[in-house]
Amino acid sequence: MKSLKGIYLLLALSITASIIYLHYGVNTTHTKLVENIEKIFVLQAKNFAKNIDEDLKKYIDSNKTLYQTLKEEPQLRAALEHSLSTISTPSFKYIFVLYRDKDGRYRYLLDGSREDKGFFNQKLDVDKNMWNRCYETKEDQIIVHKNLEGLWITYLKPIVRSESVEGVIAIDFSTTLPATINEAIKPLEKIFYYIFIAIGALMLILLYQTILNIKVKKESITDPLTQTLNRNFLKTFLSSIDLAKYQILMVDIDYFKKINDNFGHKAGDLVLKEVAALIKKELREKDKLIRFGGEEFLIFLYREKHNCTAAKIIANRLKERIEKHTFKYEKTPIHITVSIGAASKPEHFKSADEAVKYADELLYEAKREGRNKIVFDIQNNEKSDKFKTLSEVKEALDEDRVIVHYQPIVDLASYKTVKYEALVRIVERDGKIVPPFLFLDSIAHTNIYVDLTKRILSIVFDKIKEHKISISINLNLSDILDNMIFSMIIEEIKKHEDLAKWLIIEMLETQHYSNIDSLKDRILELKSFGVKISVDDFGSGFSNFSIFQDLPIDILKIDGSLVKDVNHSKVAYSITESISLFANKLDIEVIAEFIHSKEILYIVKDLGILYGQGFYLGKPQESIDTKKSILASQTSA
Amino acid sequence: MKKLIITLIASVMLFASATEKERAIYKTILNAIFPDKKVIYVWLDNPKKRAIFEKIDRVKVVKNDKDADILILYNSFDNPPENKIIFADGYLVFEHLKDKLVGGFYWQKGRPNLIFLKKNLKDHNISLPKSLKEYIEDDM
Repeated sequence: MKSLKGIYLLLALSITASIIYLHYGVNTTHTKLVENIEKIFVLQAKNFAKNIDEDLKKYIDSNKTLYQTLKEEPQLRAALEHSLSTISTPSFKYIFVLYRDKDGRYRYLLDGSREDKGFFNQKLDVDKNMWNRCYETKEDQIIVHKNLEGLWITYLKPIVRSESVEGVIAIDFSTTLPATINEAIKPLEKIFYYIFIAIGALMLILLYQTILNIKVKKESITDPLTQTLNRNFLKTFLSSIDLAKYQILMVDIDYFKKINDNFGHKAGDLVLKEVAALIKKELREKDKLIRFGGEEFLIFLYREKHNCTAAKIIANRLKERIEKHTFKYEKTPIHITVSIGAASKPEHFKSADEAVKYADELLYEAKREGRNKIVFDIQNNEKSDKFKTLSEVKEALDEDRVIVHYQPIVDLASYKTVKYEALVRIVERDGKIVPPFLFLDSIAHTNIYVDLTKRILSIVFDKIKEHKISISINLNLSDILDNMIFSMIIEEIKKHEDLAKWLIIEMLETQHYSNIDSLKDRILELKSFGVKISVDDFGSGFSNFSIFQDLPIDILKIDGSLVKDVNHSKVAYSITESISLFANKLDIEVIAEFIHSKEILYIVKDLGILYGQGFYLGKPQESIDTKKSILASQTSA
Repeated sequence: MKKLIITLIASVMLFASATEKERAIYKTILNAIFPDKKVIYVWLDNPKKRAIFEKIDRVKVVKNDKDADILILYNSFDNPPENKIIFADGYLVFEHLKDKLVGGFYWQKGRPNLIFLKKNLKDHNISLPKSLKEYIEDDM
């Protein structure tokens, strides 16, 4: 839009400059033409005057003055005046000869004028300065009249005889001459003026079209209900956006459907309009408010500085303002809340689309956490540079730099590896291995996370196919509940249905979920393919024994923080013992993590735990060696 | 004073229309002939010129020539009153009545022409200011 305005401005300036130049050109041409025609007429008058001078001198008695001769010879006067009158034309209006009397007045000697004729010796008041100059200089003079009726120029030629001036020949040019010139130039001027008018009209049409264009364009990018920008604008905006200059907020009205259901769509529309107005009040001129979906608003917050806190401040203000506001529909007060996803550093994404999706994922997260919440992205937590951004993880995926390490899980009776835990890694371009805690957070709730999980599953299934051994992968409970991730997992399992029985899904219990029925259904669906379900890190965080009542769990992994302390913490020992007893009673397989020493190993064995995992038993490795067992030196008592 | 009159005439000549020029010239003429009169009564034989004189300060155009201080003649007048100041408003009438006129004004070849006749000025005891002396003719 800005560039279009620039073009129109440039066009308007060019046309204006052209018009001024053309106008100047016409005026200059006019002036030059008049000057040239003037010169031609002056030259012609000069020649006439010269001829008259020569003719007069032929008839004048050499012993008499011009005045004496003409005074004495009226017939000669008449003849000469007749000769002069033959030269007279509408352009050369008056041709006459004057002399200067003793009092300095000018009087007629001859007058060849066809009208307004003067008589011999009659006084004529003239511009004495110029006429006297003829007498003084004996040279021709040109008088340009500005104040005489019907006269334009007077050409004066002194009649010099015996070194003295005896009279002055005057030729008056009529003003009809410049008028004639003007008439001649008029068609040319008219053509130019028509061109000016045409250009002017064209400019007006162009201006009208521009206004129309801007209006239509504005309408096409404006949401008619909320008067915010719409998805048409977003499409264009995202194609040209500099992500480093914005922060993104995705705002959604909580339980909006209920407003429509309870009060009708008109109430819903009213709420949408007012929410948009409230948001607008909090935004600055350079910020962009877009109606993203039904009750979802996307906000691009402009930022000058890289480490800007605008997203956090504005998101909090918006949430608070909307929460406090009373919407009134037909005198019925309506209160609403909003959930907000805030992406404060969208420049870390490969594209603007991804950044928006990410903000949407954060919003989704806020809604999942109970609504009326703001979820900020990981970058808000000011993590160190070691942490990988979403785009870096995506690049690793694209460049096939995602690998899996396998840590053995050992039968503590035979010390044989019976299964492995798959642990994802990213290999940096310089070969450096990046552990998952440095990149998983940054891709949480994004499509990249889904892609990564899919890749891990694919690698693990290849490994299972190769070694025919159980391998566990780690998932969050939320992953199982996430439609997209769960569908993908099922799809992958279906692809490798014959290998599914070797797959173990370790669920990390970091969050509390109320939707236990849905979780159970999904776990049962997984188990229907032969997949085993394990609970990871049990004994810490949100661990709850009721999980075993609600969900069909096959394996329980005791949290490493308990296991590593069993040798010196009575509490850790007791909890570990309780978990072991409990699991054994329910025929749930128990694995002790973090076995990092012989001492821990034997304590764990004494507690009746059958399987162990830890650096003492085997570090995560890139490959699987099923023949390899724990060294006798490590395991002998 | 002379400079002032010349400047006035020059300014008028430069920027004014023919009518305005003529009015300015007549104003100068009448002021010169009647320097002390509070009201100058003028009689005209050309009604078209009425507008020129009516707008001159101190001038009142009269219908009866007997009431006039000066007669401005555009047409020839067979028996003009002897005791009246007469001024010609054209070259032909000037030529025709020059024995009885104090002067005349006419346009020729686009140029305004002014003539005062010395003898007749004297007869009427009119003394013109210096600025108009150059227009006074001894003998025609």
